[in-house]
Amino acid sequence: MSAPTVELNPSNRLRNLLRDPLLLISLIILWGLLTLFILLPLIGLLMRTFEEGGRFTLSNIINIVGDPNQRQALWNSLLLGCLVGLCGTGLGFLFAYTAVRTNLSKAWNFFLDASIILPLISPPFTTAIAMIFSFGPRGLITYDLLGIKNFTVYGLHSTLFSETITYFPIAYLTLKAIIAGIDPNIEDMAFSLGSSRWRVFRTVTLPLTVPGLANSFLLLFAASLADFATPLILAGNSFPVLPTQAYLQITGLFDIKGGAVLSFVLLVPAFLVFLLQRFWVSRKYYVTISGKVGAKTQIKSVPSWTKYFLLGLCLFISAFILYFYVLLFYASIVQAFGANFQLTWKHYRVVFTEGLKAIRDTLIIAGAGMPLGGIYSVILGYLVCKKVFFSRQAMEIVSMINYALPGTIVGIAYLLFFNEPPILLTGTAIIIIACYVFRYGPTGIRTTVAILQQIDPSIEEASFSLGAGSATTFSRITLPLILPAFFAGLGVVFIRSMTAISATIFLISINWTLITVRILEKMTELELGVAAAFSILVVFIVFIVIMAISLFLRLFRQPGAPEMASILGG
Amino acid sequence: MRIKRMLIFIALSLLAIVSLTSVVFSAEALNAYSIWPENWARPMFEEFEKATGVHVNFLRFSSGEALARIIAEKNNPRVDILFGGPVETHIAGIKEGIFEPYKPPSFGVLAPRFKDPEGYWIGIADDPLVFMSNNKFLKEKNLNPPTSWNDLLNSAYKGMIQMADARTSGTAVTRIFSIIEVFGRDENKAFDYMKKLRQNVQVYTKSGGGGTIPVGLGQAGAGIFFIVDALKTKQEGYDVVISFPKEGIGTSVEAIALLKGAKNPALGKKLIDWSVTPAMQNLYAKYKINFLPAHPEVKTEPSLADVLKGAKIFPIDEAWAGQNRKRVVERWINEVLP
Amino acid sequence: MEAVRIRLESISKTFIHRLKGEVSAVDQVSLHVQPGEFLTLLGPSGCGKTTTLRIVAGFEKPDRGRICIGEEDVTDLMANQRNIGFVFQNYALFPHLSVFENVAYGLRVKGMVKAEIEKSVGEVLTLVGLKGYERQFPHQLSGGEQQRVALARAVVIQPRVLLFDEPLSNLDAKLRVYMRSEIRRLQKALSITAVYVTHDQEEAMAISDHIAVMNEGKIIQIGTAEEVYLRPESPFVAQFIGKINLLPAEVKGMTEEKVMLRIFKKNYQVLKGPHRFEPGERVNVFVRPETIELVKAIDEDSLKASVVERSFLGEKVDYLLELDGHTIYATSYDPLRHGTFSLHQEVGVRFNPDAITILKQVEK
Repeated sequence: MSAPTVELNPSNRLRNLLRDPLLLISLIILWGLLTLFILLPLIGLLMRTFEEGGRFTLSNIINIVGDPNQRQALWNSLLLGCLVGLCGTGLGFLFAYTAVRTNLSKAWNFFLDASIILPLISPPFTTAIAMIFSFGPRGLITYDLLGIKNFTVYGLHSTLFSETITYFPIAYLTLKAIIAGIDPNIEDMAFSLGSSRWRVFRTVTLPLTVPGLANSFLLLFAASLADFATPLILAGNSFPVLPTQAYLQITGLFDIKGGAVLSFVLLVPAFLVFLLQRFWVSRKYYVTISGKVGAKTQIKSVPSWTKYFLLGLCLFISAFILYFYVLLFYASIVQAFGANFQLTWKHYRVVFTEGLKAIRDTLIIAGAGMPLGGIYSVILGYLVCKKVFFSRQAMEIVSMINYALPGTIVGIAYLLFFNEPPILLTGTAIIIIACYVFRYGPTGIRTTVAILQQIDPSIEEASFSLGAGSATTFSRITLPLILPAFFAGLGVVFIRSMTAISATIFLISINWTLITVRILEKMTELELGVAAAFSILVVFIVFIVIMAISLFLRLFRQPGAPEMASILGG
Repeated sequence: MRIKRMLIFIALSLLAIVSLTSVVFSAEALNAYSIWPENWARPMFEEFEKATGVHVNFLRFSSGEALARIIAEKNNPRVDILFGGPVETHIAGIKEGIFEPYKPPSFGVLAPRFKDPEGYWIGIADDPLVFMSNNKFLKEKNLNPPTSWNDLLNSAYKGMIQMADARTSGTAVTRIFSIIEVFGRDENKAFDYMKKLRQNVQVYTKSGGGGTIPVGLGQAGAGIFFIVDALKTKQEGYDVVISFPKEGIGTSVEAIALLKGAKNPALGKKLIDWSVTPAMQNLYAKYKINFLPAHPEVKTEPSLADVLKGAKIFPIDEAWAGQNRKRVVERWINEVLP
Repeated sequence: MEAVRIRLESISKTFIHRLKGEVSAVDQVSLHVQPGEFLTLLGPSGCGKTTTLRIVAGFEKPDRGRICIGEEDVTDLMANQRNIGFVFQNYALFPHLSVFENVAYGLRVKGMVKAEIEKSVGEVLTLVGLKGYERQFPHQLSGGEQQRVALARAVVIQPRVLLFDEPLSNLDAKLRVYMRSEIRRLQKALSITAVYVTHDQEEAMAISDHIAVMNEGKIIQIGTAEEVYLRPESPFVAQFIGKINLLPAEVKGMTEEKVMLRIFKKNYQVLKGPHRFEPGERVNVFVRPETIELVKAIDEDSLKASVVERSFLGEKVDYLLELDGHTIYATSYDPLRHGTFSLHQEVGVRFNPDAITILKQVEK
């Protein structure tokens, strides 16, 4: 029997809830957490946006919207977001198609994957710094190599380039899963009807990837919208963007309210993206686990000249990415990049003495956030997907809010809300951990839901029919099958904890500081060597942990359990 | 296997909980936000600890960030002291009611410009602005180091000047007020100049010293910085030259202030007492920090004095600046920046 | 172990369909399955047979009615408290567990000791012919093998009843035939009461003790295979089971036991059964294709028809005939003996009066 297109009566849903005390308690706890860490801070922020002198007013918004600079910033943000979305999706598609369809050998695959992972696990500014070193007025490439003077590295073009490189891996991971999932039989059929390869690609393959393309565009658009670090370095003064403006408003003009209002303006497009993703691009590709497993089909390859052309293109870009990181590493081991190229370890010494507190703090926070984030996402994903209860849809939407919002908004909201009694959390690690868990948990939630949807409900029913209770079924059947989602949740929270800055820059304190904030400080203080050293350290740590998780996953992967296309996507 | 895994997670979580509640406080400790870069603040605080046994926990922020933070944390201050930073930051803070007045013993000895009459802030150093240029760039363009504000308008400098962004940096604000002083407080003329200067600006940096390395590397040709940042660059071996405009350039006081509602007011006062005296200010020379001391009894380090010889430096009218800061900065954002 | 009976009393369940509104999936279904009996719920898609089965299992809760297994009223019990064995259409094997672990699952839940588990699993795997497959994983098995593991898993816990939800529909034809008799053999050997759901009437007739024909949430008729085939009590059942020819007839006369009907210009004496008739009344009768005799000679005993379509199916030949403007299905077995007719050939059609069944609502 397939899943019914029926719904329980509303009264049934409520009754269900009351009959299952474990469910009820879990829901109360979850709603409590969601309210405290998502809804209330946001409402606080909104109230402050619309409040002046104790009265409700729209004047704050009107002031901002009336200011031509801010309007320009808004326009710039949207423009940049669209461009990054387009370029990043295109690039990601190129890589994904090459990876899936050209039958690469293991070595090439590994090379491509490695160069994709680097931008994802890097702290902010890495591409930006490398860009300045390479394309600045005395840049390695523009000045030394090509002899171009007067090339401005600051502006839309560099920001676009940097953000595209930074975010296209997300598109790659999204599209890879989609392309890999296209049934080759469909394309075979098109061939058999006499189409040329190109025609098949244009009329069959491409349209089938459209939901993936739309989804990745939205993801990249949102990521760019929220990025305040890259434009801070590269956008220059002629290309203001909103998240950076909000940050500057607060940190430069000590205008928290203004910053809050700017963040609110940012909320509108972010919210639109969220709606679009949820209600329009809700088609996804499913691989079914129904307790019944079928045979695999061969993937048809493209002709060899196409293969080498695509591969060459990808390799060129990968090499470019790797060059950035080599440059960064080089900058971290020379005295002063550009002036004094003497090799030295002094920057690393600084990192491990002065920076030790930041390293320790960041690792503790990331380490605590990991299991919490993993557990939170699995439980919420399971409840939202499998159980029918009152307020289910609301819970799912609310859990996504902090993820959808740009980091600056969340950070400011937390700063304002948790600095006053009754809930005083500023200055603790809890506020930072909570920020991470509720901001990056949704990736794990989405993965959990995706996997759960792939698991036929009859498997759990089978367990019931054999006498097992809910708890046993969950722990012996469901949990092992969604373990990849749990680890995905872990992995993402860890990576983000190590590399995020836009929200948490407002939340650091005397007691708890983060490596990414130190990087920003060092950059501000022009100790670029140390900044580079910190960055390399972060990349290194994250890389090790991700490898460890992958290995763990592979060792304990249940045969027949769903393939985890990636633990980093989305 | 499953049990083992569960144990590991329990252990991890316990570890997390334990760490969360652990706080790094030694016997006597003070908390501060420092606007001075870490490399300067830390030696000072270490010396303070040597002298008094009081440990200082601090976080470094740029002046704007620090002020915004303190204002946000107003109802529950997380630190006791705001250390360093151009005084216009502290003046702006007085209005917000975030400081507690305190007059250290040596209050009377200090010159009037180095203290707030009520004691809301005390000066710990003096920091003039300078022009700094890259030698190779000057040679290429056949230029002498700039000795006038108008020199910087030369088209040879197009796209090659870096200076601080007034939204985030006190350096910028001091610079702007210097220009206004030079034009005899005629703001329209001053803003005209700045608009013209804009054409030559490559980028406005977030922090005051943000442009020093680019100038040192030759990525930019010249910039306007506080002397502390400029001299540091030169001392590090970059090929730069320092010069002063004949029309004069401003200097800004670096100050320290006690926060209202501080959790450790007694310790904070101790730090203030120590920092406004030769005890700290004699250390500037030792640590090669190129501030001019505020305390009259501390002599300027000779090589530093050398650099300043013949330069026309005037103090900024901090009170006037504090009153008009918001308006002037906003005007700069609207007219000069775009 | 003693076989138990299953009793459903007036079970009803409605769903709210997104488009159709309230839909009655199961409408006052009452059923009595004898201990050790193999009962099949048969019907078209959407008739409610699977819902009924799932209600027995405990996966759905009825809106009204009671379910008793043995002497116990299990209506309010959860599925895991009813001690049932359920075999799913898609087998629902646990993909991350080996064959052994799949089968042992229910025993582990019960808390059986390791040695006993190994013994029981070994026995039941032998029973289904999968001894030696313990270490295999579901994705390594063929469809038939997976189904047998599902069967073993359901049976090893010694359930009071066995419930099957179209377990063979994903297998190919030959395997289906083989597996259905395997299932029946196993059920008989273990003497467990079984309820089986299928839409395949041949399957139902082959292995069931009784068949309950369902449509639109109601049970239309319960009977043995012969009863539902030869004496359907409603047009629906008649048309659902096997092929029939629905023919118009006119009542010409009556006796105590028989009624004379005129069909296609010929008169036939047909058993009255429980019906009452008026002279001149028009009724419908049905005739099974295989009861129609086809002869070469067209005389006063036979009706003239012509062959419109024919399918040679090995042991039989199916004919589509055109008779007096009507379409008639006829099936002729053992073509070697009885000969075949070719397309467009004219044949003589003889109805057997004993094989004519009157289709009228039985007065209750």
